[in-house]
Amino acid sequence: MKSSKKALSEERLKVTERKLVDVIANFGYLKGRSAKTSEVMAYIYIRQEVTQQLLRELTGYSLGTVSAVLQDLEKLGVVNKHSSQNARGYVYRLAGTPSQVMSQSMADFQGYLSEISGFLDEVEAKLSKSSLSKKQGYSQLRRFLDEMNVLIPAYQQVLQKFQTMRLDSRQTRVGAANE
Amino acid sequence: MNNAIEFDPEIRQIEQEIVEFFAEKASEYTGRHPIVSMVMSYFYIRRSLTQRDLRKLTGFSAGAISKAVRQLVDMNVITREVIPGTHTHIYKMETLPFRSPKYFLQTEQTLEKLHKELKEIKDKLDVHGGKMRNLEGYQKVYDIVKHLLVQISSVPRFMDLIEEELGKFIK
Repeated sequence: MKSSKKALSEERLKVTERKLVDVIANFGYLKGRSAKTSEVMAYIYIRQEVTQQLLRELTGYSLGTVSAVLQDLEKLGVVNKHSSQNARGYVYRLAGTPSQVMSQSMADFQGYLSEISGFLDEVEAKLSKSSLSKKQGYSQLRRFLDEMNVLIPAYQQVLQKFQTMRLDSRQTRVGAANE
Repeated sequence: MNNAIEFDPEIRQIEQEIVEFFAEKASEYTGRHPIVSMVMSYFYIRRSLTQRDLRKLTGFSAGAISKAVRQLVDMNVITREVIPGTHTHIYKMETLPFRSPKYFLQTEQTLEKLHKELKEIKDKLDVHGGKMRNLEGYQKVYDIVKHLLVQISSVPRFMDLIEEELGKFIK
């Protein structure tokens, strides 16, 4: 009797976790991630440490799919792979606390912006050949570059300002704590 | 309309480099699906395209293109219209999505929905938590729900600040 109650609670927790996974995964989908990546990422956020086998059981995806998604998440800096002490294979851990992983993506965004900026300079140089300005499609590329040339520096400025604001508020908190 | 042929070969070459750059980098930095990134990048430049155009430009299958445009519509990045007098849809990007992240992320609707769903989960855990509390995993689920509720409550203010700051640079 006792064990069936426990089984019921376990089932209830599993359903609740599943609901939470769907909510988080939908948010990932709206950021342009694939449904599979979003779902695996949601489980990792919650469990913080997973194995390929566990993810296979939780999601129903094949081991090949799970392995490919984990490789992508490793490249993205969301998980780190470690040798498992108890089981065969590897365990995958969230690369920090959920807040750390989220604030890391803000730092990465700055790197992304500077890569875009460098790349757009190269495109600008190619497009500046005078022979191209009358060619079909030039005006569409020109419009894109003109808009990006305003937007990218704007984002760089805004992010810099936010970084300073965050730093200031942290220092204020430390100062207040010291007092 | 046949966009792929309309562009001059030299221009088309530069366009392909742009699209490939964004497909690779957006995936690397944001985890966005490469096909979604690539299709999105074609909209940055072309602004209005049919699924047929996209198939020609990218070489992806009809199924992959259909899935990608559906996701971009869901993401509020492009809109879908019927070409008058036909049964064909045309997809349009009115403005570059990062021009207004608030619009792009549909902040208010999305966050309201997200907050409501998370609140429901938290209430369920609070009310029916009794037996579950001793189970392994309960605390992790509970902590993430609480963490996300705190995080999303600060997003609207953050978005407003970004919009305000961007507005100073973008006329």
